[in-house]
Amino acid sequence: MIRVATRRDRLHGRAASGLGLISVLLLAACTTLPEPTVALAAAEQAIATADRARVADTALPDLSEAREKLTAARGAVQDSRMAEGERLALESRVAAELASARVEAAKAKAVNDEMKRSTDTLTQEMQRKTGARQ
Amino acid sequence: MNTRRVSRHALLGMAVSSVLLAACTATTPKSEDAERLRVRLTQLQSNSELAKYVPLALQDAEIAVKNAEQKQTDPAVAAHLVFIADRKINIAWAQGESLLAVDQRKLLSEQREAARLQARTREADTANDRATAAERDASNQTLEAQAAWSDTADAERTARELQQQIDEMNAKVTERGLVLTLGDVLFSSGAAQLNVGANANLGKLAHFLNTYPKRTAAIEGHTDNIGNDGNNQALSQRRADAVKSHLVGREGIDARRLTAFGKGEGSPVADNSSPEGRQQNRRVEVIIAELPAQTTRQEVQKYPVTKQTAESGLRQ
Repeated sequence: MIRVATRRDRLHGRAASGLGLISVLLLAACTTLPEPTVALAAAEQAIATADRARVADTALPDLSEAREKLTAARGAVQDSRMAEGERLALESRVAAELASARVEAAKAKAVNDEMKRSTDTLTQEMQRKTGARQ
Repeated sequence: MNTRRVSRHALLGMAVSSVLLAACTATTPKSEDAERLRVRLTQLQSNSELAKYVPLALQDAEIAVKNAEQKQTDPAVAAHLVFIADRKINIAWAQGESLLAVDQRKLLSEQREAARLQARTREADTANDRATAAERDASNQTLEAQAAWSDTADAERTARELQQQIDEMNAKVTERGLVLTLGDVLFSSGAAQLNVGANANLGKLAHFLNTYPKRTAAIEGHTDNIGNDGNNQALSQRRADAVKSHLVGREGIDARRLTAFGKGEGSPVADNSSPEGRQQNRRVEVIIAELPAQTTRQEVQKYPVTKQTAESGLRQ
């Protein structure tokens, strides 16, 4: 029974989506969209990733923005404003991704700065020693 | 799966419907936001340093900017698309900076290695210099030590030699200085003629005075109590003079270093009642002056002279 039902669901999937598309086209302005679960999950995932990356100060505004957007997206979904919820979820995701990218850039720069600093220190020390010697 | 497909279709539907609906609204000019996005995207695309690292992110950004450039009826959708495009550009930019930094690391680490090597070389040079300086110092110290040692050795040798000379001459250390007694065997009785070679002490005295050219000597002639005082006084003077002129003429001692006095019969060292006593009293004493205190102490006190009687040196 279950298997048959599943197959039937699948068979009718495309037809259903096609139907959905038509209905969307017809009722674009006032239709109720399904919950943007994927977009919300993606946003949550992106925020978690940025969180794990130990966000540097430069990325903090982006990460808070991502969290605010996610909260707003959930609120919109709860109010059945699905289109807005999806947009907010997408915005939350890119904001979190930007936070991660900024963290990576800051880390990469910090490593380079440290290398430059140690080179400079070596050079300065050498000049001081040479100066002392002359 | 199903949900995603449906939502994608929903989006597509939204887009299509918005295009359809756009027909009945007045065409709005490209938003200023979208224009600004395009400018920034172009900046990044033409940034030769960063663009090459992030082709995919740039593609994403390009699509997002194009979407934002589309005319929208719903200002919320327009704002959304601008937001997405703005973040996509920033993501591409940040990723480009990350990758550029990683790429620069190779050069940086080469520079650091070069600096490190240079520092090490410099350190080694400095260490070498220091070692050389230390060696030079050490060898200088050795030389100084050798010099000091040789000074000491010289002083010791001088003192030892002096002592030896004094011993050889049978001189006596007195308050007046070193007193060397030349016996009357130097002279025939009543005569001031010096019998050269009759007393080895005279040769030793000459040698001593030649060895220590700073020392001066007083030569004193003495007689016994035979004969009158005046004669004895004159005789003692002549004998002292004879010794002096021998030392000056034969041994080449500077006359200024020598003084000769006739003491007559007034300073006997033995009883004049016996021939032996009188013989002891007929004598010439050479008093070698002490040098200034320091030198003297060094020369003499270091090796205290064994007490000797003047007489012990007389009869040889």
